[in-house]
Amino acid sequence: MTGLDVLVPSSPEEAVAAYGDGDGVTVIAGGTIVLPEITYGRLRPSKAILLKDAGLAGITRDGSRVTIGATTPVVELTELPAPIGPCAANVADSEIRAQGTVGGNLCAGIGPEAPRGDLQGALLAVGATVRTGGSGGEKTQPLEEFLADREGKLLLDVSYDEPAAGAFASLDRPHTHDYTALAVSAARAEDGTTRLAVSGVAGHAVRLPSAEAKADNPQAAGEAAAGDATFADDALASAWYRGQTLPVLVRRALTQLQEA
Amino acid sequence: MKAVGARLPRYDGVAHVTGRTTFVDDVRVPGTLWVKALRSPAHNADIKRLDTSKAEAMEGVHAIITWQDVPLLEYGHLSALGIPADEPLLAKDEVRYKGQPIAVVAAEDETKAQLAVEAIELDLEEKPALFDVRKAFDSDAPVVHQWGNWYTHFEDEMDRRQIRKGSIQEAFDKADVIVQGVYRPAAIEHVPLETQVCQVVPEADGRLTIYSCTQALYFSMGVVAAHLQVPLNRLKFVGGTVGGGFGGKVDTATETMCSLLALKSGKPIKWRWTREEEFLCSSTRAPWHMEIADAVTKDGWILGRKMLTLHDSGAYSRFSPYGLTKHSFHHTGAYTIPNLEFDGYVVYTNRVPTTAMRGFGVTSVSFAVETHMNRIAKELGLDPFEIRLKNANRIGDTSPNGIVYTDPSTVPTILAVADELGHELPADYRTMSSEKREGELLPEHLVGQLGNPEDH
Amino acid sequence: MRLTVNGIERGIESAPLTPLLYVLREELGITSPKAGCQQGGCGACTVLVDGEARRACLLAVAAVDGAEITTVEGLGAPEALSAIQTAFHEHYAAQCGFCTSGMLIAAHAYLEHGGSGERESIQETLSGHVCRCTGYVKIIDAVAAAAGGEITSRQKWLPQTGEESPVEVPGAPA
Repeated sequence: MTGLDVLVPSSPEEAVAAYGDGDGVTVIAGGTIVLPEITYGRLRPSKAILLKDAGLAGITRDGSRVTIGATTPVVELTELPAPIGPCAANVADSEIRAQGTVGGNLCAGIGPEAPRGDLQGALLAVGATVRTGGSGGEKTQPLEEFLADREGKLLLDVSYDEPAAGAFASLDRPHTHDYTALAVSAARAEDGTTRLAVSGVAGHAVRLPSAEAKADNPQAAGEAAAGDATFADDALASAWYRGQTLPVLVRRALTQLQEA
Repeated sequence: MKAVGARLPRYDGVAHVTGRTTFVDDVRVPGTLWVKALRSPAHNADIKRLDTSKAEAMEGVHAIITWQDVPLLEYGHLSALGIPADEPLLAKDEVRYKGQPIAVVAAEDETKAQLAVEAIELDLEEKPALFDVRKAFDSDAPVVHQWGNWYTHFEDEMDRRQIRKGSIQEAFDKADVIVQGVYRPAAIEHVPLETQVCQVVPEADGRLTIYSCTQALYFSMGVVAAHLQVPLNRLKFVGGTVGGGFGGKVDTATETMCSLLALKSGKPIKWRWTREEEFLCSSTRAPWHMEIADAVTKDGWILGRKMLTLHDSGAYSRFSPYGLTKHSFHHTGAYTIPNLEFDGYVVYTNRVPTTAMRGFGVTSVSFAVETHMNRIAKELGLDPFEIRLKNANRIGDTSPNGIVYTDPSTVPTILAVADELGHELPADYRTMSSEKREGELLPEHLVGQLGNPEDH
Repeated sequence: MRLTVNGIERGIESAPLTPLLYVLREELGITSPKAGCQQGGCGACTVLVDGEARRACLLAVAAVDGAEITTVEGLGAPEALSAIQTAFHEHYAAQCGFCTSGMLIAAHAYLEHGGSGERESIQETLSGHVCRCTGYVKIIDAVAAAAGGEITSRQKWLPQTGEESPVEVPGAPA
């Protein structure tokens, strides 16, 4: 590890400055994803930023607007209303939830064995926006846009308007350390619109617009969802299995939402 | 006998709960070099070029060994039992499974060792690979070994483990029903929490002290001594503390290569596999392919069994001929069947070599047999407990390999299970015992089949 | 960097991104946390960081600079076992022993945080810890016993707990 530069910024501003344009920078929040990458030699950082003291942790509320700092541990989300609370409670085990962060979850790329980032779906469903630093300065953008292009951005926080109702439906995990093979989050905004998103799909979580268009009919929405996602075979499940179970999860989530 | 039935504290319990048990990874030897392996990235390939010179020149690298450094390259895990060796310690001309070791590096830390591994130059020419035992016999099947895709050295150089008892033809002629089934349990990784690990210390007197996580210490000692071509008194094995093995640590995975590195470098050596290596490169329980056809009467007697087993040995024999032999002896399960025709093959594929795991060879056949018993019961519309009790081994019954049972436990076991589950049984079944079949209890198809336990 | 490990303050020389696990094992020679998977999946490396159970393999040492670390060596010694160590020993909760350190640390944290001893809550707490000897029932029994909860494993063929052992076993507590 010769020539390794490790920075420990003590404020969000220092963190953004240390990050610069992000080129060649390894960002470590909880470390639950990055450390094994280093141990197994898949990542050999030359410059790393530890965000532990950067003042990016915590959940704040302003009316119905909820803002979650990037280094907030996943465990702190578990008591939030659906879909976020149940989704967070479904991440790994209690010890990992206490260490892994929301930011790591949103920035996680596809893993060697399965798609990562279980929270991405729940936060898409509530229509979250993210605030980032990095190349091009501070930026606020919808989470969808961020997930599609995370290069060169340092996530600072994520915020959303609390939905009127939410639901979360997931395949069971064979072991607590498995990522969720497939999970669907649903949320109804105050204005009555419904958003649906799926995690466990190739690349990162995505919205399900065709299913959203039929949200008042769970069965029809489930059938429509198939065209909205791209599935891959991996260690957790086959693309076929995911394709078969997505309509079921969409139907369950929407049924829960109607009953909420 | 004051210890029998008593509640005794574990002799190693206090050490375990205070963190003081010394597992191999916990042995501290200053100046130890760490090991990483160059492993085959291909399932089946010819090695065209192997050049370690750049890696050897790297900073912190103290020794690299390849096949050329091994005094006896091929030594079979069961050479001592006369089963011919077919596996090189390090690949020479060919690799036959993904993950097969080709070279091992000892360096000052794991990162330096890994960087050196990445600097080794390797050219492979890939060949088609075989993964399905059912295709191994096809004329156009990929070739795993030049001499064939299955083991050919059972007694009298037979290419299969074969059992013949009574007349299978007669049994099929007399049968009311033929019940068939195919059973294919998959490979299972043992996943011991302690991965394969070894620490070797070259001593001042020229001997090697080998801290090993092996489940079979003297066995591993023989394997290392044979590869190194040294007498046993040159090796001091320290073992007995195993962080889980379940059969997977019967193979000698690390000790020999670490010993060679210790001799070449003159320094203490340690190799601890990563979890990834353990999953991808350590031996597994074998996948099995089992086909059963039973000759059955409509009241539930099994008159005969014809069975074909294909045992997936992976790329090399290791313990598979032994595992298949055990399998063949148990292919009637806990039941007595007088007419048998069993053929079992140890088949090579381009997968990780397979090995022992909890009931080596027997668990697979027990799964097949018990599932098949339920299938028979279902096809005949009989109670699965009753057909088990009926055919259960009793005193005087004989096993497929001719052992006369003197104390079989099938009947009491099945009755205990029925009891535990609250499963109702007719009185004549409920009062069954393991007593020898005589008089009315001796069914026609077993007349003349019973042995005398006194002679045994 | 500095760490207080089992009550003793130590200066740390390892590189800043070295996992705490290697700092404990290789630099400080504290070997109870095990390198079972080195990716957070098995729980065998779990230690207390400022009183909370954490995976030592997932923490860069620089991320815990200044923290107080407790390993099994710090819970109790053979002649003075802690409550959870005693319970594990008496209930045969350690088989091969490789997962035991992590189990003990997680269970200790559970008790310290007022764990109820209810089986579901113990299962939830230990759900990230793998035991391949599959001694989970006895492990849960041990934690339940230490927390004053119910024990369910079937030990009807054994004499009752508390009976004197008729055989002297070296190293066993009197």
